[in-house]
Amino acid sequence: MKNKVILFAFLLLPVLLRAQSDQSAKDTGAAAWREKGVVAIREVPVWGQRPMKSIGVQETKFDSVVLKENIALSIADVLTFNSSIFVKQYGRATLSTVSFRGTGPSHTQVTWNGMRINNPMLGMTDFSMIPSYFIDDASLLHGTSSVNEAGGGLGGLVKLSTAPAAADGFGLQYIQGIGMYRTFDEFLRLTWGDERWQVSTRAVYQSSANDYKYRNRDKKENIYDEDMNIIGSYYPVERNKSGAFDDVHVLQEVYYNTGRGDRFGLNAWYINSNRELPLLTTDYADDMQVENRQREHTLRSVLSWDHYRNDWKIAAKAGYIHTWMAYDYRRDPGNGVMTSMTRSRSNVDTFYGQAEGEYSVGDKWLFTANVSLHQHFVKSTDKNIILQEGGKGIVGYDKGRIELDGSVSAKWRPTERLGLSAVLREQMYGTKWATIPAFFADYLLSKRGHVVAKASVSRNYRFPTLNDLYFLPGGNPGLKNESGFQYEAGLSFAVGKEETYTLSGSASWYDQHIDDWILWLPTAKGFFSPVNIKKVHAYGVEAQADLAVALAKELKLGLNGTFSWSPSINEGEPMSPADQSVGKQLPYEPEYSATVTGRLTYRSWGLLYQFCYYSERYTMSSNDITLTGSLTPYLMNNLSLEKGFAFRWADLSLKGTINNLFNEEYLSVLSRPMPRMNVEFFIGIKPKWGKRK
Amino acid sequence: MKWDYGTTEEFSASGTGLFITNEGMFQYGNATLSYYDPETKSVENEVFYRANAMKLGDVAQSMTIRDGVGWIVVNNSHVIFAIDINTFKEVGRITNLASPRYIHFVSDEKAYVTQIWDNRIFIVNPKRYEITGYIECPNMAMESGSTEQMVQYGKYVFVNCWSYQNRILKIDTETDRVVDELVVGIQPTSLVMDKNYKLWTITDGGYEKSPYGYETPSLYRIDAARFEIEKQFRFKPGDSPSEVQINGEGDKLFWINNDIWSMDVEADRVPVRPFLKYRDTKYYGLTVNPRNGDVYVADAIDYQQQGVIYRYTADGEPVDEFYVGVTPGAFCWK
Repeated sequence: MKNKVILFAFLLLPVLLRAQSDQSAKDTGAAAWREKGVVAIREVPVWGQRPMKSIGVQETKFDSVVLKENIALSIADVLTFNSSIFVKQYGRATLSTVSFRGTGPSHTQVTWNGMRINNPMLGMTDFSMIPSYFIDDASLLHGTSSVNEAGGGLGGLVKLSTAPAAADGFGLQYIQGIGMYRTFDEFLRLTWGDERWQVSTRAVYQSSANDYKYRNRDKKENIYDEDMNIIGSYYPVERNKSGAFDDVHVLQEVYYNTGRGDRFGLNAWYINSNRELPLLTTDYADDMQVENRQREHTLRSVLSWDHYRNDWKIAAKAGYIHTWMAYDYRRDPGNGVMTSMTRSRSNVDTFYGQAEGEYSVGDKWLFTANVSLHQHFVKSTDKNIILQEGGKGIVGYDKGRIELDGSVSAKWRPTERLGLSAVLREQMYGTKWATIPAFFADYLLSKRGHVVAKASVSRNYRFPTLNDLYFLPGGNPGLKNESGFQYEAGLSFAVGKEETYTLSGSASWYDQHIDDWILWLPTAKGFFSPVNIKKVHAYGVEAQADLAVALAKELKLGLNGTFSWSPSINEGEPMSPADQSVGKQLPYEPEYSATVTGRLTYRSWGLLYQFCYYSERYTMSSNDITLTGSLTPYLMNNLSLEKGFAFRWADLSLKGTINNLFNEEYLSVLSRPMPRMNVEFFIGIKPKWGKRK
Repeated sequence: MKWDYGTTEEFSASGTGLFITNEGMFQYGNATLSYYDPETKSVENEVFYRANAMKLGDVAQSMTIRDGVGWIVVNNSHVIFAIDINTFKEVGRITNLASPRYIHFVSDEKAYVTQIWDNRIFIVNPKRYEITGYIECPNMAMESGSTEQMVQYGKYVFVNCWSYQNRILKIDTETDRVVDELVVGIQPTSLVMDKNYKLWTITDGGYEKSPYGYETPSLYRIDAARFEIEKQFRFKPGDSPSEVQINGEGDKLFWINNDIWSMDVEADRVPVRPFLKYRDTKYYGLTVNPRNGDVYVADAIDYQQQGVIYRYTADGEPVDEFYVGVTPGAFCWK
């Protein structure tokens, strides 16, 4: 095979994807849309040598084509249809968490432009709050591979970043979406750039009444006679009550490249979200008299500097996150005035700093060092009470924590075929320390077919969250770290014929033991409190395959699929003699999941089909399936058709999307119905101001 | 997704028996109702669903029987279901309650429903399944409102106020007004009345760092007629007593404090040894068979699987154990 083979860029092997990095500046953001306005198949080269940084790493990378397939989607939706990780959705535009390999949502670390954005109070990240329109590059670092970026990702790490738009002069993109349930999506991007500067402003406004209809099989409406005797009943068709949302996101980016090896960047992302929390299917409250609302204002900002030289690089980042969150449960007591039953507020301020360096010694050695700091200040007020002596009291906490994370790594490729990498990470959260070592290896088994074997092992720790430690009532300052010991091995391959087809795939097996898993349990006093209680054995197989074929000169087909088998078994001591959970799959973790995506493009037409499958999720730790606790498997199918128009003055794009193509009734979480088949239309425009085409 | 629904079963549970309300997991809507026959030692789970082909709801808090009708209070579904106690079929429902906890019948046409996060006790007409009025509770805001269990002495109903509260309220059922209140310790969890018309409540003392205070929990004996504390039995600091119950004769108290404890209502001090030893788990619910004094203890295990009920004789000998639903919290004798 020649050194350079033309490949279509789908979910390729990490080693192949790494080759995109230099191209990314040109291919991110609106670029995919710009290519005739259709689902684009880009071409990337494969370099003969595997990058040192990727030695032994299990990474799934999403390029802008995948991220922008449906502009209205959140990253939660993108991950649902394009990866093997489990996305637990509490409804449409409602809390969505992701978990790798049978672990919990707080075992997934999330970074945005290098800064960790997990909520320090809860440990997890709500992916429904991250519009895919704002993310230019995303990758998943599975299991041990996450140690290369951060500690604490017992399941893995989701790495999100933005990139310069590669604008030449002034550019504008505007897309509007109109969908069912009175859904309106507006997307605007303004760019300006020259050789040195790249400036971009993106804005997203999404709103919806979100009142989709569903057959409520959890309750019945009664028909009464005059004496209030029940004479009949039926399952009502209800709407998703109290589920409206109104979200605004603004992202400002400024990049400056000196042209002499220095790059500066500023990213600032502001979120103003106002969402109602839908009533459960089993709720008999009058939704006109109650309000269950969550509001969030968040600013995330990162300032970065990168200094490149031939054989070394240094970089520094500084950042700040401010989050204000409000939860209100209010009710009209009958006088027409909504009165608070629960009024909870939290303020989180995080200061972030990071410095890193890389040094290459010839082609065989690469050394890296990295130190980061996150200083959190949290003020949580959860309840207003009347004190015994009268006067008001507040139940909550006001705490801070400094989180230091330093790492060094050495990567060695003694021969073309063999790569070895060692990472040593030291973490300090508050006054507690943890040492996280990881070791990676890969070996090129065959140049023909580019068959690579990978293996890695790590010891990892996750520190308790601030709510785990300090929440009132229930916080437990005596909690220990959760600890994981994980090892994995896998194979990958890639074959192709120039401008004809590419086929690649990978499969990996992993095995992890997690001790001191933190679980919130009720206390005798009626509130919940966390304890280090579980031992979990998570193991399984992840596989993915990608095929890209040029069927004819302008007819291209892309297929990719993922599959995951992820037992996650409770191997702790029985909590009581009657405990039936030992040896059983953790609740809400599917044992099997799969996705398939197909893309067909012909000239300026694009057809996209997405499929995902989740096996039954147990709702009980004993894995018993009861009438009231059943979450049966479901299949989900989406279909999109897009047409691009290239005029002298602008590019236009029209797109129609059908979500839940087969009108499936399904639940991701008990009592929270998901929408049936629904449709959304998009129109996009990108003027060609000052450009002659 | 495959749905199994619409099928109803016919039950005929004549005779005496025990209902167990299983709270389920908060926000998951998987509360259930179990029925146990002490004679045959047989249990039927999910009987509400099986009889009605619909879910009971989110957090089944308590159940009360009156004239052959069982009233199940489902807290976070804001509903009270009325069922036939032999067929388990729904006969009616009261909806749109704020956050209901317990129901107490004053008459055939009037009942009180206590609430958490509401400073009112709801007055309902059980015949018409309607909310007919409210009892305003003094010195309580909506957000910090908490009224719990009720017992009646003459025309007065007594209510313990639990969450961030420290009082017993006295309500005149003729005027539906709070006419008096009695300060006890922090967070009285439960309330019963003995054969001598003495009220008994047990406080949990709050929790460490609570702005409301944290103290040693106590068991209180209150004279219902005079509405005065007669006796206070202090526990050890850090104890978490709850669920004070009384036997059918009204002469013996039971409660949970890690172990299961029992005390004669005439006793001057709490026994040194428990009635039942701790069994490597946290007990969550407790009841005494009013007919023979058998003691039933609920173990919620990890609160994510079917809990188990342990049955003992009045002498503490094990008789039976059986699995019910998730988080069995309350009992109701037929």
